[in-house]
Amino acid sequence: MQNQDGLLADAEVEGISSTQASNVDDWENFRDDAIMQQQSSIWAEEAEKIPFVGDKAREPLSSLAAEYQSGSPILLEKIKLLTEEFAAIRRTRGDGNCFFRSFMFSYLERILESQDQEEVHRITGNVENCRRTLQSLGYADFTFEDFFALFLEQLESVLQGNKESISHDELIQRSRDQSVSDYSEWHITHVSTYVTWMRKEDVKHMKFLCAAFLSASPYNVSCLVVMFFRFVTSGEIRKRSEFFEPFILGLTNATVEQFCKSSVEPMGEESDHVHITALSDALGVPIRVVYLDRSSCDAGGVSVNHHDFIPNPPSGGDLPLAAATATAAGGSGGSETIKPFITLLYRPGHYDILYPK
Amino acid sequence: MVDFARVQKELQECNKDIDVSGISIKLKGDSNSLTHLTGTIPGPLATPYEGGNFNIDIVLPDGYPFEPPRMQFATKVWHPNISSQSGAICLDILKDQWSPALTLKTALLSVQALLSAPEPDDPQDAVVAQQYLRDYQTFAATARYWTETFARTSTLGIEDKVKKLVEMGFPEALVRSTLESVGGDENMALEKLCSG
Repeated sequence: MQNQDGLLADAEVEGISSTQASNVDDWENFRDDAIMQQQSSIWAEEAEKIPFVGDKAREPLSSLAAEYQSGSPILLEKIKLLTEEFAAIRRTRGDGNCFFRSFMFSYLERILESQDQEEVHRITGNVENCRRTLQSLGYADFTFEDFFALFLEQLESVLQGNKESISHDELIQRSRDQSVSDYSEWHITHVSTYVTWMRKEDVKHMKFLCAAFLSASPYNVSCLVVMFFRFVTSGEIRKRSEFFEPFILGLTNATVEQFCKSSVEPMGEESDHVHITALSDALGVPIRVVYLDRSSCDAGGVSVNHHDFIPNPPSGGDLPLAAATATAAGGSGGSETIKPFITLLYRPGHYDILYPK
Repeated sequence: MVDFARVQKELQECNKDIDVSGISIKLKGDSNSLTHLTGTIPGPLATPYEGGNFNIDIVLPDGYPFEPPRMQFATKVWHPNISSQSGAICLDILKDQWSPALTLKTALLSVQALLSAPEPDDPQDAVVAQQYLRDYQTFAATARYWTETFARTSTLGIEDKVKKLVEMGFPEALVRSTLESVGGDENMALEKLCSG
């Protein structure tokens, strides 16, 4: 404990003296920073178990079955069914950001593999809309602009053919705890060239972000992009508060404003269907969530439930081209024909990435 | 490393509408560090804190704006959620509910709102909280007395204080620098002038 900083030392001293004091006085000594210190040590413990996103090699689903070997037969049955449809799983850390982190990695990975320029163009337009939404809601530019710029950079860098392009391994590295050592140079020089709304003096501002990647700080690219998604989600919920209000009331009994402040914008707050709907709508990205839980239907047969979050085009702007054509081909068939861009596995309290065969 | 460019923008933004909000943020004392600041909030009207000006000590941790700013009252205050001894504040947004979407100004606004709406069931100062719940009249009187005693001094205009101290026979330049160094507290300035 000697090497901790002064504030903690203070808290320690107070803690010792409180042993003589009454119970009531103990509350005095639970200082905010002592509580937060404990919280971050819990996170650090979690970090040792699993990185932000899982290993380079995609894990086969059989490893999931092994996990539940002595568990519910319903789960084992469901995993068997999943194995028919999905090739692999990629785990994410259970730090409350797993939905956003899974979304980030899965989306960037899809772009990296498909090199779909049109999709990048499309989502960039939607990101621009989100930025305007936040401005119209009264957010100060300096609170969110870095996070937006950073996401756009990640998009640019997964497209090959420019010198900032990155490989699949680099994407994993960036999404994980360590940062890429030569990242900062191009970051400073290139950010201003395509993020047109950024003023010149803001470029130097970016040095902070670079430092965040390069240092051992837990706030690296991955965290900054998660925060970007939190901004986008919160903006969408607030913009369409009438639509989201009943769902939020059902979940938490909070107002839309309270919900965004307490359950969307702080890092580490877990995501629910409200978050997923809002993010999917705002960015126009269809998401499939496959549920691995112990529910079963009465008839006795086990099937794996899934829910497709299909973006609501009027608010989210354009849909991915593939999805739009699917709708057109399906005629009036509507949402069922839209192919999800991203598939996540939900186990109560946690999201991981699934890879279809 | 603290995001200094952002902190600078925050200070500009906050101090731009100081006339409307009454909330200001300055560098602390004579330090030149952007990581150690002093915020000032006026006590909300129709509360025992009305008429007081409360200084809040702000320290920005390395991870700001990912980590919350550390805030505690530098002005003594009698409130269930603020330690009457250390000035520590019990407020969710300064802990796990912090978000980079918040700013120093919105955090200070939340602290100001806390003055209007104490939450005695989630206390920082158990003695004050018990008094608040069991004997509100005494609580309100004490809080008002503390406001008068500790938070009033700074409402006197700086020029008035300078004038008063100069009339006591201290040179004006020294009075100004001393007042500055103690954050405008007239009594502390006098003490310092006498001892120096």
